[in-house]
Amino acid sequence: MKKSDCAPRLLATLFQFLLLICSASADEPLSADAILDRPPSFRVESVRVRYSHFEQMGIGYQSQAGPARGPGSESLTVEQPQLEIVAKQGKRTTHRLWIPLDVVTAASPDAVDRLHGVDTISHASRINEGGSVDLTTQYRADRETSLFLRGNYHMEEQFRSWALGAGMARSLAEDNAVVVASVYQVYDWFDSFLTNGLRVGHASRSTSNGNLGLTQLLSPTTVAHVNYGVTLQVGELGNTWNSVPLLEGGRSQEHLPTLRHRHAFVARLAQWLPWQGALKAFYRFYLDDWGILAHTWESELYQRMGPRAYLRLNYRFHQQTGADFFTTLSQTSAGLQTADSDLAPLSAHTFGIMTAIDFPLKHIAGHLDIGLERYLRSNGLHASIVSCSLGLRF
Amino acid sequence: IVPQNRRARLADPIMSFDSDALETYRKSKFYSSREGAA
Repeated sequence: MKKSDCAPRLLATLFQFLLLICSASADEPLSADAILDRPPSFRVESVRVRYSHFEQMGIGYQSQAGPARGPGSESLTVEQPQLEIVAKQGKRTTHRLWIPLDVVTAASPDAVDRLHGVDTISHASRINEGGSVDLTTQYRADRETSLFLRGNYHMEEQFRSWALGAGMARSLAEDNAVVVASVYQVYDWFDSFLTNGLRVGHASRSTSNGNLGLTQLLSPTTVAHVNYGVTLQVGELGNTWNSVPLLEGGRSQEHLPTLRHRHAFVARLAQWLPWQGALKAFYRFYLDDWGILAHTWESELYQRMGPRAYLRLNYRFHQQTGADFFTTLSQTSAGLQTADSDLAPLSAHTFGIMTAIDFPLKHIAGHLDIGLERYLRSNGLHASIVSCSLGLRF
Repeated sequence: IVPQNRRARLADPIMSFDSDALETYRKSKFYSSREGAA
């Protein structure tokens, strides 16, 4: 593919949406709606922006940015701005427009370019820009039932993706319980490369997903949530330029199965604490047919510092077995094999702190937060994350 | 189980599971790009 004009297209789409909002919500001072006290047909409820910055250092045997037998560098930085606009149309319909962007500067794909004199990932070689436009429309059919549709388009320089989803939420027992069911279908289409960086055409993959969740009030201070998600992936399931060090020297192409069944079961609990705080617990059990079995625990402790500010401390622990075909040194270039450090047996810790303040303006409720996190993985990868957010509710 | 008039604590944003979808996305994408589970 040619170098995309990703950012201008996304901005144009956003601009068109904002024009639609502005034109639809411009009330005349003495319009019929104002006189009859009817709600405006289209009204922006909230706008939120978030900016995150990741700095990652680490090594992985799939990377060619290092010795021939690896491991190579997995150093990268990510700049990730996001925009979310929620608008109400009439009494029953809510639209959510969400635009995340990612600018990734990575050593691993860049090494393919430098070693072989080709341009795998971009004209700028080291920088890959990606972005999405995601629109979810929710329709409240009655007091207990909501339906939603979701569409998403994602683009990177060598990658395109389309997604469609639909779901339903049903409230029971005076909102004591809410059941949500949803399905998603994603289709990815992208350039395919050899490990020497030569492009050999296009590849694709399909991702089909179903989810069933239940949120239940357990007491005036306790909420629980459980969710099961199943995902079926078919097609090219790698990025195509990952490599595997060979015992005889040199490197082989990564070979992954073309089918993957993935199951995730999640349980959450939120408990209000008498000293104006809250404790949240999260557990996920994950299993797939590549041989990965994972447990993830996370806890968040919130403490209010007055009516408008609060502090959050969080800790997360993740542990997984490796894929059946994971290796850091292969005897042959045939058969299933990967050296991707993400698919290795590993454990990881995350420590974080965040502070937030809610502030009233004239007719607007504002929110501001900033957080820091540190991620430490057992196989030589670590990352630092800074993230801040500003939200306005009208 | 919990009548409408006894949900003041539950309405506090710090008790919500999904009050910030942008933060949820940041974490979800970060971890799914670095771990085999998602």
